[in-house]
Amino acid sequence: MSNDDLYWLGVEIANGVLSGAVLGGSYALISVGLALNFGVMRLVNLSHGDWLIVAAYLCVALLTMIPGVAPFWALAVVVPLMFGVGYLVQRVLLNHVSVQAAERRGMSPLYGLMLPLLVTFGLSIVLSQGMLLVFSSDAATIRNELSYSAIRLSADLSLSTLRFGFFCAAAVLLAALALWMRSTHIGRAIRAASDDAEVAALMGMRTSHVYGVASGVALASASIAGFMVGMTRSFQPFDGPPFLLTAFGVVVLGGLGSLWGSFVGGVLLGVVQVLAGTYAGPAAQQVAGYLLILFVLAVRPQGLFAR
Amino acid sequence: MSTSAPETVLRVASLSAYYGELRAIYDCSLELARGDVLAVIGANGAGKSTLLKSIVGLMNHGARSHLRGLVEFEGRRIDKLGPEEIVDAGIALVPEGRRLFDRMSVEDNLLAGAYLARCRPQAAQRLAEVFELFPRLRERRRQTVSEMSGGEQQMVAIGRALMSGPKLILFDELSLGLAPVMVDEIYRKLAQIIERGVSCVIVEQDLKRALASSTRFCVMLEGSIVLEGRPGEVPMEAITAAYFGAGEARQA
Repeated sequence: MSNDDLYWLGVEIANGVLSGAVLGGSYALISVGLALNFGVMRLVNLSHGDWLIVAAYLCVALLTMIPGVAPFWALAVVVPLMFGVGYLVQRVLLNHVSVQAAERRGMSPLYGLMLPLLVTFGLSIVLSQGMLLVFSSDAATIRNELSYSAIRLSADLSLSTLRFGFFCAAAVLLAALALWMRSTHIGRAIRAASDDAEVAALMGMRTSHVYGVASGVALASASIAGFMVGMTRSFQPFDGPPFLLTAFGVVVLGGLGSLWGSFVGGVLLGVVQVLAGTYAGPAAQQVAGYLLILFVLAVRPQGLFAR
Repeated sequence: MSTSAPETVLRVASLSAYYGELRAIYDCSLELARGDVLAVIGANGAGKSTLLKSIVGLMNHGARSHLRGLVEFEGRRIDKLGPEEIVDAGIALVPEGRRLFDRMSVEDNLLAGAYLARCRPQAAQRLAEVFELFPRLRERRRQTVSEMSGGEQQMVAIGRALMSGPKLILFDELSLGLAPVMVDEIYRKLAQIIERGVSCVIVEQDLKRALASSTRFCVMLEGSIVLEGRPGEVPMEAITAAYFGAGEARQA
């Protein structure tokens, strides 16, 4: 092999690892909410992907109403709005179909495991049909000037500006979330309630409120992920479930419910997918991702960063 | 509303508690004056823990468990309230088996006890007080509680209860599973807590220790209170007889 060949092999791998890692950052962003839902409430939220698309549509609608502002500003409205929606959905709906609620009503814990799955699956259908009704099935996208912009690292290495931005956003969001969980009363309450809800109540923590806040934060981060999706590609009302699947894989990789685990899991999945795509063709990309998940499940079923 | 005297802190009247259809305690009545230390003694399964859980609101839980009767704290009815409201009213439980938040540090466990809005402004001050009472916890404030010994965990559990500034603390199986040296230390700390004017209910297997550190006692048998009195005023034979269910000694 000549020096030239080696150089290009290096460039190829470096490109793969870089763009894979950066793609993984967006995977992490997509997964944080699901990880939080599962980690705190043991809730598998099957409507997670649809909320991403809802947020993306909200951003588009908002930016159409107020033309001329930078797309980024849409988040200033959509993130708090989605926090509120998440809080309400948890308190009005999901708190009443949890394991604890089933137990309170004297139902078998099996219902407690099944009910949230059925309800969030139903929610997923309602959301996608609702979006079809309101926004029609035309593909939408969040218009922006950064879509084709790239950061050049060297003559032969470059990164998508947007993807890199979202990688940083994911890292900052996770760090902020970890700090918030560590140092605020409500963050401590979320950790306490996820550990022992009954004792948390003995400390004066209203678990219905605490779960509401956790769900609000989950949807707020899902809406940042939805914004990212809308900036980087076009989307339609039924595009949610594949994101749920990705998030699911990442959460399983990282260890169910672990926030940092979902970051590392996301990056790992991204790198493996991109490298597989480079060397074995685009078709191998998804397969390699699922093989990785399968492999981790076989070797370390609790995930890489299980608590 | 209230018929109890002003110095009465806790009043339990004809209280029964059920797990589903199963009755765990039956027709229990007791009164606790401010500064009282009540020892609840009885064999395993006599209903001591259920009595404490009933007072802190863990037994009115929909289909799973419910209460009949009355519990009053400082003249206010609390038997329909949830645990969040009861701790806000001023009752804290140190649960059986400690039940700390295992993955959290000592300091986080303690601060979790100060979650209530009325406790947050004093959280730092109360934390300092708990560290003064248990200096060992100050040294280990960053340690994860699951890595600590049983005695140290019990200190965290007691400290966590103190963080809410309670007027009444219920201790469930205070010395269970602890080394004798540690039990001595815990009871010395308990005496200091009592000195501050906090009323206490102590569920304890160790009869002698329970009687030595209390101003009042009651003996439970098969879900009922079968004997009440003050330590020293009731002969030991009568207490052990009630404990094991021999004879029908009922005393005011």
